[in-house]
Amino acid sequence: MTDPVVRNGKKVLCVEDERFISELYARALTKAGYDIVVEPDGQRALEVAQTNNFDIILLDLMIPTITGFEVLSKLRDTTVTPQLKAKIIITTNLEQREEIRKSIEDQADGYLVKAEITPRELVEFLSHLDT
Amino acid sequence: MEYFHRFRQQLLSRLVLIILLENILVGVTWWGVTTYIELGGTETAALVGTATIVYAILIASVSAMWLTQPTKLIARAIMHVTPETAAKVEAPDPTTPAFGRELVSGLIHEVFELATTAEKTHQTITHTSDLRTNFVANSLPLPLLIFDANETILFANEVAGSYIGMPSTEMIGKSVYTVLDMLFPSEDTLDTWLADKKTKNATASSTWDRIKLNPAEGRPSRSFDLAAYYNRDNPDKFETMLVLFDHTKAYSQDDQAISFIALSVHELRTPLTLLRGYIEAFEEEFAGKLTADMNDFMFKMSATAQQLTAFVNNILNVARIDDDQLVLQLHEEQWGEVIRAAANNLALRAKVRGITIEYSIAPNLPTVGADRVSVLEVINNLVDNAIKYSGDSSRIIINTYLTANNLVETTVQDFGVGIPQNVLPNLFTKFYRDHHNRAQIGGTGLGLYLCKAIVHAHGGTVWVKSNKGEGSTFGFTLVPFANLNDEMRDSVNQDITRGAHGWIKNHSLYRR
Repeated sequence: MTDPVVRNGKKVLCVEDERFISELYARALTKAGYDIVVEPDGQRALEVAQTNNFDIILLDLMIPTITGFEVLSKLRDTTVTPQLKAKIIITTNLEQREEIRKSIEDQADGYLVKAEITPRELVEFLSHLDT
Repeated sequence: MEYFHRFRQQLLSRLVLIILLENILVGVTWWGVTTYIELGGTETAALVGTATIVYAILIASVSAMWLTQPTKLIARAIMHVTPETAAKVEAPDPTTPAFGRELVSGLIHEVFELATTAEKTHQTITHTSDLRTNFVANSLPLPLLIFDANETILFANEVAGSYIGMPSTEMIGKSVYTVLDMLFPSEDTLDTWLADKKTKNATASSTWDRIKLNPAEGRPSRSFDLAAYYNRDNPDKFETMLVLFDHTKAYSQDDQAISFIALSVHELRTPLTLLRGYIEAFEEEFAGKLTADMNDFMFKMSATAQQLTAFVNNILNVARIDDDQLVLQLHEEQWGEVIRAAANNLALRAKVRGITIEYSIAPNLPTVGADRVSVLEVINNLVDNAIKYSGDSSRIIINTYLTANNLVETTVQDFGVGIPQNVLPNLFTKFYRDHHNRAQIGGTGLGLYLCKAIVHAHGGTVWVKSNKGEGSTFGFTLVPFANLNDEMRDSVNQDITRGAHGWIKNHSLYRR
């Protein structure tokens, strides 16, 4: 558990407005060698993501200014965002109605219930992503 | 009736007068004849006899008209007020000169009066029968539907019209099932009940609770109780009568209650995420530096956080089931592996209570069709229950094997307090808890309800065997993947790999 940090060079954008959660994720991901950027605001997160600088985007749905679902739709809309290289993983504690759920399944690369997964388990989950 | 009595008396007295008159006439004739002619005994008898007959015929033929006229008038009066002959017979004029004119006109008036009263009574009766179908039915502040043997609507009251959102006259001739798109909470539905009654009973009645009405476009959904009356041999051709009792308000409060819980539970998830995250971070940071006591505390905190997560998931799942939002996706699963993972995952929670979980997996089990996340909930709930009710015993055994019916059965057995026989049938009911244990043992009464719903959605069944003081065994079956109906197999997004905590796309390696 106390291995020295070996950078794997992968960049993660963590869109999360709950500071304690982003703190925990940043800690675990940094330890696992990821470069992590935290952005709590929806609109700014969209702009940051559009720089296409990330391998993984962890996207909360309930965030200020524009919702995570809107961010997801805009990132997947090629008229707004050029082809994104990042894998988008939705991280949420909310339930979705059928239509939203289906739409997320179409547009996102993964989906996590935050209460169901510890930071260590998140790292394990991300290690299985083909990035 | 006064006139009838007077009429009879007068008739009698007049008849007596006629008879007297005839006798006098006969007497006068006899006296007249014998004054001029000497008659013998036989001749006298012949004369008196002939005179009596001749006078009787004469008097009768004259008075017949006079006597029968009132009868004729009364007969006409009666015929005039009788509906069948009324058109053919004119009303008699009560002023017609007739014997006992006052009496006759009185009688005719009486007949007319009686007829009017009868007419009124008749009208009242007819009116009442109209009321039955129209006034009463339409005044009934409950939707009412009547339909025939083919479930075609014969009558719908106005309330039914506004309730369903279709003019009641438009419903007539339509199938009751097209007009009333009902969602029954169990398999006991109106059509199955009717099918059963049609073969077995002449008359029957039944009620159902908490039926949802799938509303027409743009209309709010309603919830009601339903009462049905069935009569196979009804002469009016109607066979079934339905009355709806709207409980939308009461039931929606219940539904809101569960949604409110679901909503509150979401609020629990964020602190829970943090709690689990910080416990893990703490363990990592202080690994190897903690005393045995501290490690034990951490371990208990961790187990408790896990238990809280399981509780939150139970509530959310019940809310999903009640909201028809529980979506299962059945994949081919190696059941032994699922059991092993579940047992290992639950070991921590059991160990906190000093309990060890043993498991035995029969060799050569076929793969099952299962929604991994949901079946893990089932095992979690059964094992959590076993832990709660273990008392002083320290063993829980999970067994899984193939039954004679080629189903994969899994049992969770404890050796604890057991369950009294009388409460066994209620165990899988929502919010049901053994009231003897409620004070000592916590729980929501949702776990077993959830297990039943999930197992049923997999095409399996749940059961329980228990004796007070000897522990309990809960079991459930799953269908081998090869035997699963095509529609039960997951047809949605095969690219997605689901785990207990979420899903990931295009990745066969990831399995939790």
